[in-house]
Order: sequence, then C-alpha cells, then structure tokens
Amino acid sequence: MSLAELLSGVNQFIGVGVPMFVFSILGAVIVILLFAMPVGGFATYIERKIAADFQERIGPNRVGPIGLLQFFADGIKMFLKEDTISKNADKFIYNFAPSLVMAGSLGAFAAIPFSAYVIGADLNIGIFYAMALGSFVSLGVLLGAWSSENKWSLLGGMRGAAQIVSYEIPLGLAVLSVITISGTMSMHELVSQQAWPSAAAGQGGHFWNIVHNPFMFINFFIYFIAALAECNRVPFDLPEAESELVSGFNTEFSGMRFGLYALAEFADVILFACIATAIFLGGWHVPFYDLRSLDLGLTIGDANLNPLIQTVAMIGVFLAKVSVLIFIVMWIRWTLPRLRVDQLMNLCWKYLIPIAFFNLIGAAVWTWVFEGQSMIQLIGKVMGVL
Amino acid sequence: MALVDLFVAFCFLLGIGGAFFTAFHPNIMYAAISLIMTLVSVAGLYGALGADFLAAAQLIIYVGGILIVILFAVMMSQDIYKKRFAESARKYILPASASLIIFLGLASLSRKMDWSGSTTPDFEPTARAMGWALVGPYAVPFQYVVVVLLVGLIGAVVIARPAIKNEDEGADS
Repeated sequence: MSLAELLSGVNQFIGVGVPMFVFSILGAVIVILLFAMPVGGFATYIERKIAADFQERIGPNRVGPIGLLQFFADGIKMFLKEDTISKNADKFIYNFAPSLVMAGSLGAFAAIPFSAYVIGADLNIGIFYAMALGSFVSLGVLLGAWSSENKWSLLGGMRGAAQIVSYEIPLGLAVLSVITISGTMSMHELVSQQAWPSAAAGQGGHFWNIVHNPFMFINFFIYFIAALAECNRVPFDLPEAESELVSGFNTEFSGMRFGLYALAEFADVILFACIATAIFLGGWHVPFYDLRSLDLGLTIGDANLNPLIQTVAMIGVFLAKVSVLIFIVMWIRWTLPRLRVDQLMNLCWKYLIPIAFFNLIGAAVWTWVFEGQSMIQLIGKVMGVL
Repeated sequence: MALVDLFVAFCFLLGIGGAFFTAFHPNIMYAAISLIMTLVSVAGLYGALGADFLAAAQLIIYVGGILIVILFAVMMSQDIYKKRFAESARKYILPASASLIIFLGLASLSRKMDWSGSTTPDFEPTARAMGWALVGPYAVPFQYVVVVLLVGLIGAVVIARPAIKNEDEGADS
C-alpha cells in the first residue's frame, strides 16, 4: 500500500472530500516537523558527542539524561536570539536565501524509499528529481553569501558555488552508472532490484549495487567523496572554513536564519546518506533474506500484521545503514584536515571525473556482456545454486 | 482538472513576470534572480504537461548549472553591490526587435498547430521513450549536438588556459 492509497483511505474514513493536495501539504509539514527537524537537531547532538569521543572529552552532558535534550535547548536558544540584519545587506534576498536552502534539502526527501511501502512519492524520475532539487541548495548558499554584504561571506559563497558545480559532475556520473545497470530512475524500483538473488523465477534481484560489479564498487566511493563535497563537509568545508573566512557564507546570519543553514547542512548529509543507501547499499534489503517475505503469523482479529512488521523491519534496516554512513561522515570530519582550493579542484577534475567516466563505460560494458547479471548472480550460477 | 489549469496559469504569470523583471530591473543581481523565477516556472509548465524528465532536467541544467554560472560571473564583476545597467533607450532596440521576430515566428507556428486533441492525456513516464528516441531515430542529430558541445568545451579550455611561455624562442607575442 502506498502512502497515497493510505491517505485516500483516510479521506474516505473522514467522509468529507478533502482535496488531495491538503494532505500533501500536511504530509510535507509532518515530515519536516517530525522527521527532518528532530533528526537534524539530534544529528548535531550526535556530532558533538562523537567529536568529544575523538578528542577524549565528555561532550554535552547537562541537559537531560547524558545531554540528550541538548539540541532542544540549542533550538530554543536559536529562536530567542536577536535576528540581526547588517545595515547594507540586501534585505529581500537575505530573508529569502535560507528558505531556499531548506526547501532544496527537505523537498528531496519526498523521493526517499524508507521501506517497500513508505515513500513520499514514487516518481518515475525519483533519483533525478532528488538531484534536481539539490541545485536549490547551491543557489541559496550563493545568494545568502552575496546578500549579506560581507567579503568573507562572498568568498565563502563563491567557493561553495564553484565546489558544488564541479562535484555535481562526478556525483551525476556515479548515479548515471547506477541507472545504467538498473535501467530505471524510480527509487522504489532501484531498491527492489537489489534483493538477494533467488532461484525462483521472477523473484530476487542482483543484490546491492555496490557489489554488482567492480566498477560499481569504485563508483560508491566516488559518490561518497562527491557527496561530502556537495554537503560542504570536511575535508571539503572551504565555503565556511573557520580559520580563513570567519564562518564563510553564513557569517552574517544570526538566530534562526543561521539555524536554517546549519539544519539544512545536516539535512543534506542525511539526504545524501539516504540516497547512497538506496542506490548503492540496497536500501532496506539484507543479505540472504528477502524482508518482503517476512511472516511472523501475527494477527489482530482478521487483520494480518505482516505489512506492519515488514515496514518496521525495513525502516530499521534502512536507518541502520544511513546511521553508519552518517557516522563515517562525522568520523572523517574529526580526522582529516581541510583541502586547499587548488587541491579541491585537482581532485575533482583530474581524478574523480576521469575515474567516474571510466566506471560508467565499464558498468555499461559489464551490463552488456553479462546481460545485467551481478557478480553474486554469476557466482551463484557457477556454484549451481541459482 | 481545474487544479492543473490553476497551476499552469500560475506558472505562466510567474514566467512572464520573471522575464519582465529580468529585462527591465536596473539591478543586475535582481535581474539574474528574476531569471530563476522564469526558469523554475518553465520547469513547472513541463511538469504540468506531463514531461517529468524534461522538468527535472530544466532544474538541473538551468538552475543548478547555468544560473549558478551567471551569478558567479556577476559576482566576479566590479562593484557588484551597486551594479546598475546603463540607462539608455538605445540598448532596448536590438533585443526588442529580435524578441519580436522570435515572438512572431512562434505565434505563426502556434496558429499552424492542431490544438484540437489537446486535452490532458493520462500521465505516462517519458524518460524511457526519450532515451530510445535519442539512440534511435534522432541518433545522428544527437551526436551532432554532442560534437558541437565538445567543440565548445575544448574552445573554452583553450581560451581560459594561460599562455605558455616558449623559452626557446624568447618571449612570445
């Protein structure tokens, strides 16, 4: 059952003809309030705890048990802070830019398949849509930087724009090779194809795309590096390099406007981890077992609880993979130094893009030679299991 | 289908308004930002027409690529905070006449078009059909465009790279 069917069911239950778009808007608000905001806020807490672990100190531990409510206090602090606008700033764009960043990173969550049944909108061009909305993020960074009339901001914004435009190419090429081996852009179908191979006709898939063939294995790391740069994360945090540019493009922003930028950055990290999970790490699929056939035989009255149990299991698996990726991102942040601008551009144009092109051709040739079968499937054929 | 009509009307107004401000706003930065409105509204029109792939491509290529480069170029220019267009009526003549010719061409084209079957069809994905068209009947024009773009890329690199000093023949001209 898709979310749309569920909503239309609710609509019939209420018995008044509430237009569908009201539900869509409500759904978007709920996603923002119940998912992205707390998760983004919670990510700041996790990040501080991890940073503390890496630096052998305790980290936030005063607000709530083991400091768990710290992000809540931070949120209140941000709301209460004075919203300053510098005198010569361009007021209209200054007010408008943070929401552009937020819209770009939250809108893309609509296409993320959290389970076989929970997906905001199973668009035919899902992955392409998610990348398209990402372009608003760079726009917001650039406009926010320009409008605050501050040289540090402007430098940070220009670095950010150059970086994002450059790294979109290896990112796009890595995603393109996924599309090449899968033959679809729908997020739901991309994940469905990555089931554990099964001997039964019409069942199973080619397992996780990262082990589909050697080229895809390299492509995952290209995607990951490019995604780090897209999110302005260390070692690619040149747009806000504290030691050089004060705070880069968001220097002048205070209060909740700064909060939106910070939150959007975390939402971006989560988004890219979600996409990487969905297209490379098999989404909600686990090895050796297809969660879609999970059957505990639990019922309440006549209702079968299997879809619910499957959904919970799938979301658990998906979020576990996402958490691992986010942890790695934070691990990198507290380990590596920042790149210089020329090193940044060298890495992108001289290494990532040629390798990504090679991998794209390699993945296409592999798909042609082995008729779309993955390494796991070929091994299974040789062993006579499949 | 009233909702779709409303959406189309909204995109239409947004597009026209954005184009107007792009052409006439004295501040170059606002002109560039008005262009965002136009480009996004065109993506919205594509979406309303059921061209989902084209809508996303419009966002990626124009908003994510070309517009960023335009803003980048604007920011590289001098005195960006108070950059104004020169106030002269002469600069409108050539663009206005070119726009008029294009408009007349499009208008005469739309009169020849058969609009009778233009009820909104059921939505069907377009990406696969477009892919087959590009490697099938339109393979040669597609490759032609690819070569043109490649020439453009190489030309840009040639122009942008610094002149290499040839030390054997002394300083170059």
